[in-house]
This record gives sequence, C-alpha cells and structure tokens, in this order.
Amino acid sequence: MIDWLPLWLSFRLALVTTTILLVLSIPLSYWLAYTRHRWKVIIEAGVSLPMVLPPSVLGFYLLLAFSPAGSFGRLLDQYLDIRLVFTFRGLVVASLIYSLPFMVNPLLAGFKNLPPHLLEASRTLGKSDWTTLRRILLPNIRPSLITGAILAFAHTIGEFGVVMMIGGSIPGRTRVASVAIYDEVQSLNYPMANRYAAVLLLFSFTILLIVYSINHRFSQSKSVL
Amino acid sequence: MTAPPTCLHFQATKSLHTAQGTRQFDVTFDLPQGRLLALYGPSGAGKTTLLRILAGLTDTSSGNIVMEGDTWLDHSRRFILPTRRRPIGFVFQDFALFPHLTVRQQLEYALPKDADRSIIPDLLTLMELETLQHHRPTLLSGGQQQRIAIARAIARRPRLLLLDEPLSPLDAAMRSKLQDYIAKAHRHFHLTTVLVSHYLPEIHALADEVIILDEGKITSRSIPSDLFPATGPIDNLRLNGEITAITQAYGACILHVLAAGTTINVVASPDSASAWRIGQKVTVAYRDFNPVILHSH
Amino acid sequence: MFTIRWSLPAICCTLLMASRPPAPPFSPPEVRRDPSPSNPPAATTEVLVAAAADLRFAMDSLVAIFTRENPDIIVKPTYGSSGNFFQQIKNGAPFDLFFSADVDYPRQLEQQKMTISVVHVYGTGQLVLWSKTLDPAHDQMNTLLDKSVNKIAIANPDHAPYGKRAEETLRYYNLYDKVKDKLIFGENIAQTAQYAQSGAADVGMIALSLALSPAMRQAGGKYWLIPPTAHQPLLQGFVLLPHSKGNPGAEKFSQFCSSATATSILRGFGFGEPSN
Repeated sequence: MIDWLPLWLSFRLALVTTTILLVLSIPLSYWLAYTRHRWKVIIEAGVSLPMVLPPSVLGFYLLLAFSPAGSFGRLLDQYLDIRLVFTFRGLVVASLIYSLPFMVNPLLAGFKNLPPHLLEASRTLGKSDWTTLRRILLPNIRPSLITGAILAFAHTIGEFGVVMMIGGSIPGRTRVASVAIYDEVQSLNYPMANRYAAVLLLFSFTILLIVYSINHRFSQSKSVL
Repeated sequence: MTAPPTCLHFQATKSLHTAQGTRQFDVTFDLPQGRLLALYGPSGAGKTTLLRILAGLTDTSSGNIVMEGDTWLDHSRRFILPTRRRPIGFVFQDFALFPHLTVRQQLEYALPKDADRSIIPDLLTLMELETLQHHRPTLLSGGQQQRIAIARAIARRPRLLLLDEPLSPLDAAMRSKLQDYIAKAHRHFHLTTVLVSHYLPEIHALADEVIILDEGKITSRSIPSDLFPATGPIDNLRLNGEITAITQAYGACILHVLAAGTTINVVASPDSASAWRIGQKVTVAYRDFNPVILHSH
Repeated sequence: MFTIRWSLPAICCTLLMASRPPAPPFSPPEVRRDPSPSNPPAATTEVLVAAAADLRFAMDSLVAIFTRENPDIIVKPTYGSSGNFFQQIKNGAPFDLFFSADVDYPRQLEQQKMTISVVHVYGTGQLVLWSKTLDPAHDQMNTLLDKSVNKIAIANPDHAPYGKRAEETLRYYNLYDKVKDKLIFGENIAQTAQYAQSGAADVGMIALSLALSPAMRQAGGKYWLIPPTAHQPLLQGFVLLPHSKGNPGAEKFSQFCSSATATSILRGFGFGEPSN
C-alpha cells in the first residue's frame, strides 16, 4: 500500500539534524547573546543566511564543495572514506546548515529576553558561566529550546531543493518523503503521492500539537519572568 | 578605643553617563570589618555603580580594591578578580530570584558543591521562610521575595554583603519588618555590609556610617545622626501633611490635616479660613502643645 | 537533571546516525559502498540504476521480469533527466548503471574513463505530440498553432535530450518563434508528460515510450508521431559505472538489458531499432 522507507528517511534525517543542531546551537546562541565582540554581527548574519538563500544555491555550493571531483571532496574520499554527496550523511550536513537559523534564532531570542540580573546573580553566588548556563539559563529558556527544536525538525522534514541538488533521489539513502512525492507525481502515480503527502501532513500536525500543548503546560505552571 | 582594622579598601574611577550628561565617578574609601555602611544620594549619583564595581559586575577606568588582604581589582597591573571568586553576597533591586527553583533550591544552589548544608534550616528559620521553602518565588509577595534574596545572598557566608536599594519596592509596613531581617542577618553572620538607599529612616535604622554620593563623588561621610541633627524640644517638631477636610465647629474653623499617618486637627481663625483649600500641602508645628499651621506650600 | 534529560536522546540519535547494518558477506572489502538501511541481511545485492525519465514505465517492466528470475538481486531505479545524471555521476553519485536518453552522455563518460564497460545502444527514442483536448493527428504540427493552445510542454532543452530534440523540431517546422512564448519546460521528459496529462499544458512534446504507458493511455489523450527527420536521432544507450565494480548483480542486470528479452520489451515500449 505504501512504501514507508521515504517517510522513515525523512524522519530519521530530521531527528538526527535536530539533535545535532541542539548541541551545536546552544553554545553558539549563548556566545551571540552575551559577547560584546565587534564581529558578532557578521556571525549573526551568516547564521541567518540560509533562511533567505534559495535552497538550490546552498545545494549548488555544497555540491561544488563536497564533490569528489573537487579537491576537498577528494580529500574526504581518499583519506577519511567519507562521501558527502548522494549519501545520507551528506544530507545531514546540508540540513545542519539549512536549518541552523531556525534553531539559533529562537534560542538567541530566549537568551536575550532573560533578565540580565539572573546571570549576574548566579555569578555573585560563585558559579562559573558553564554552571550558570546549565542550571539557570537553559531551564529558563525551555520554551525557546522547544520552539527551536520544532522549527528545525519541521524545516528539515520539508527540505526539497537542497536534497535534490546533493542527494539525488537514491532509494533507501536520499529519497526522502518530499522527493518521493515529487517522483510519484512524475510517474503519474497520484494516489501514492497523495498517501505520502497525507502521512507527512498528519505527522507534522500531530508533532506540532503535542509540542505546543507541552509548551502550554509549562507556561501555566510557572509564569514567564 | 582603637579603631577596628580596615577590612575593605576601595578606589575607583569611571565615566558615568547620566541623564544630565557625563560625570566622572571618583570614589575612595576604607571600611572596617563588621560595619554596615549606607550609600545615600540622588539618582544617578553612582551608588549602584559603586556596588557593582565592588561586585565585579561593572568595569572601571582605574581602580584598586583590596578586601581582607586579597586584591580584587588592581587596574595598574590589569588584574580583575572575576565576580564568582569574590566572597560576596548581592541583593539586587529586582531580587533576581531564579524562577524555576523553589526557595529551598535557591539556597541549595547558592552553596558550593560539598559545603555543609546545615546552614539552610538556620537561614530559613532566621528569615521565617520555613513554610515557603518548597514554593517557587514568582507567586510570593515582595516582602517574601526580599527575604529569599537576602537569605540566598548570605547562604554561602560571604565576607561582604551588598544590598542595592533592597527595600524600595516594598510598602512601609514591610519595610520596617525587612529592616529587622537585614539587621539580624548582619549581626548573626558578622558581615560587613554596604547598603544603597535613598530612604532616610532606613539608613537611620540600620547603618553605622553613611557616605553621601553626588555626581560620582563623595560629598560627606558621617554617622547617620550627624546628617540630620536631632530635633530639639517638642515645640520644634514639624510635620508635613495635607488638608483633607475643613469643618466649622464652635464658631471656629477646623483644618483636618493628614500628617505622619494620623489626622491632626488644627484650629484656624475664621477670617483665615478662606485661605485654606482641601488638598493643600502644609507644615504643622506644635506651639505650646498646640498644633498650628506653620506655612503652606 | 537537566543535562541527563537532553543527553539521552542525543546519544540515541548519534548512535542511530552512526549505525551501519553489516555489509553483505560477498561484498569485497575494497569496494566502498554505503549500505542502505533497507538492505535485508546478507543474501541480497542491490543495484542502483540511473535511468532516463523516458524509461519510467519500460524500466519498471524490465526490473519486474529480471527480479522474477533473480529474486536475490534488488534493482533500484532512479529516474531523472539524462543531463542531470551525467553531472551527478561526474560528481560521484553512487550509481551502478546509467541509462541515458542521449548516448552522447555515456560516451563522454567513456572518454573520461569513468565507465567500466562499453556503451550499449539499446534503441532510439521517438518524439510525439500528445494532447488530452485536441487530436494532434488531425493538424499534425499545426496543432501547436491552434487558438485553444495556451501552453506547450517540452522538456528542458538544457539538459533533457527530448527537450533538445523538441526544440530542433520546432525550428525545423519554422514554428519556434511563433510558439516560444507558450512553451513550459519540464525538468525531465516524465514531468513534461505529467504537465500534459494533468492539463497544465494543452499540448506536450513527449516520449513515445511514455505515451504508450498505461497511465498516459488512461488519461485519454491522443498522440501523433513526429517524423524522425525533424530532429537529431535520440540514440539511447546504457553503460556500467565504476561503482558497480565487484557487484555481480549489476553485471547480471547489464547482461539482461542487452538480451533479446529486454530488447523486445523495449521495442514494445516504443524504442525503435537504432539506425546504426
């Protein structure tokens, strides 16, 4: 009735990307929120760039960068046995770049909205900045963490242009649900395309429902400062 | 009697940006151990700045801070001891309580990892927080939050307690109660304390010494009673109040003046009655044990 | 506490991502391949085929028949425009075989020493005019000038062979300038057919092999075979790629596609005899 493989691939891609992004984005947003470095605007702009860039541009540059026909790609291939084009790994790397702003921006807003005295109070209690981040700041930006995770997850599930450029449509590896729908339409197999689309829609909506209701319960049990 | 040993030496300069323009903050003072020092002065004078420099939360253009022999700041050698290494307790004006921790957890957080936890019950008792210890601070009253902030600041037994206008967000009744708590904590834990306030009764109640700051400089340093000379005999007692009602009785005009929390009935001559209006601010003085309106403004 | 709650899913996901199912036992160690997560354990091989979009239905037939005879070999075709595949293969796409609608592409790969077999020409593609609303056989090429025709679908001439030939045909009949504003471009010939079938385009210049497919027949359209003299021949060819080295399944499939059985299937789908 339905081949679950593309859906499983999409889900796996989104899950892996979101988890890695969480780990990477927390220190990045923290730094952006609190540093007084003059160059931070450049980093901020760079982080937001994938939001405004057409996916095909990103896909194109990634293809150039990682193709074994190019010098960097050849290096990866020969010495590290890593291929980043037309592989699942390559999609993860592309998704990390593509969905980065969707994780960083909510986190950054969350940090900036925290009262500055929280951080200072923790310092006056003798705590290191790392402890402060872990035990004071992050627990208080939980809604931002959740928002960032949902946005990054949903954005990755919907990825199409970048995947097409550097993923091809290799069944079992890079033929994610969004590409599978496109393929089935081309095969004039509308019922199948419909099934994929319906599952994706239902899944995405359910995830959003669950997460927003969790968020609601948080904001009811403890008020925003 | 010899003066107690100097505990804290403070010297710092900095540019202050106030609504009236840029002022040069330039303050030097020493403070003996165990004293409670109040900082008094108008807004923008640099009181909070001084406190924050002491805490290491604000930079300086130059400065030297030595506390009990340890150098906290030595600008000439480019040495700044980070805030977290200074044995201080800081009570912020907005309390800065952690919204996600219960009262007890706030105190536990304040303690270093392997410290003795027995101080927590003592603190809770001292600040009368036992019944609240498992509550989160956001639903508690201002007075309760203030007690938590003070308890948290002294949980790790700091050598220096810094309070930034701790009582200004509270109402009068709360204020006097909290003053007691601060005094208790200061004595009980043998702290050296610096308190920023622009509320004179508070300074009178708590401080051993007062420094007055204006536009970033010390203009005077004394004990509280020197600032405001003691009142003479009662006929020099003056109260500021407001006329709340004007009535006629026994052919005389009675002005009801609300001052110092009570209503004082002042008899005015009938022909001067037309000079008075409800809502007028007046100063009442006692002459021969009778209240009279001294002047209006 | 906080750290533990978040680190657990993080660890799970990193393990998920890093996990690789065991490689099939007969895959020799020097062949570098990413095992697919759908790879059933041990006994089956996988053959990845890059197939020109005009083979969409013909290839499905070929694969079905091949799989009946060789149940342990799973052939996975990916369809697209030949020009795109050419670029992808040059950039390291992991395909075992490349079926191109224009034999020029695999020949270029052969010249650049990026193939491990000779190019096998399996037929000629043929171009047709297809429409759901009009009967192209009636006015033939002049159907394109009909008043009711607002959009004409052709494949993208930049990288789809059928698109290039369609453009040549239009110029041959001196129609290009008259209709160029009505042209819409499909990313490959299958998408072009889909535009025509869905009605997004009133007329499409598509592959005969697609016009003969069940899906297009069911749409109830009519087609007219464009005379081959109007354009360069569409020689179709396939080749084995270096990725397939050591993959006996790929070899077998390659042999099958050159066999008489396969050839007759392809003829049935409208791929003509190659003229050379």
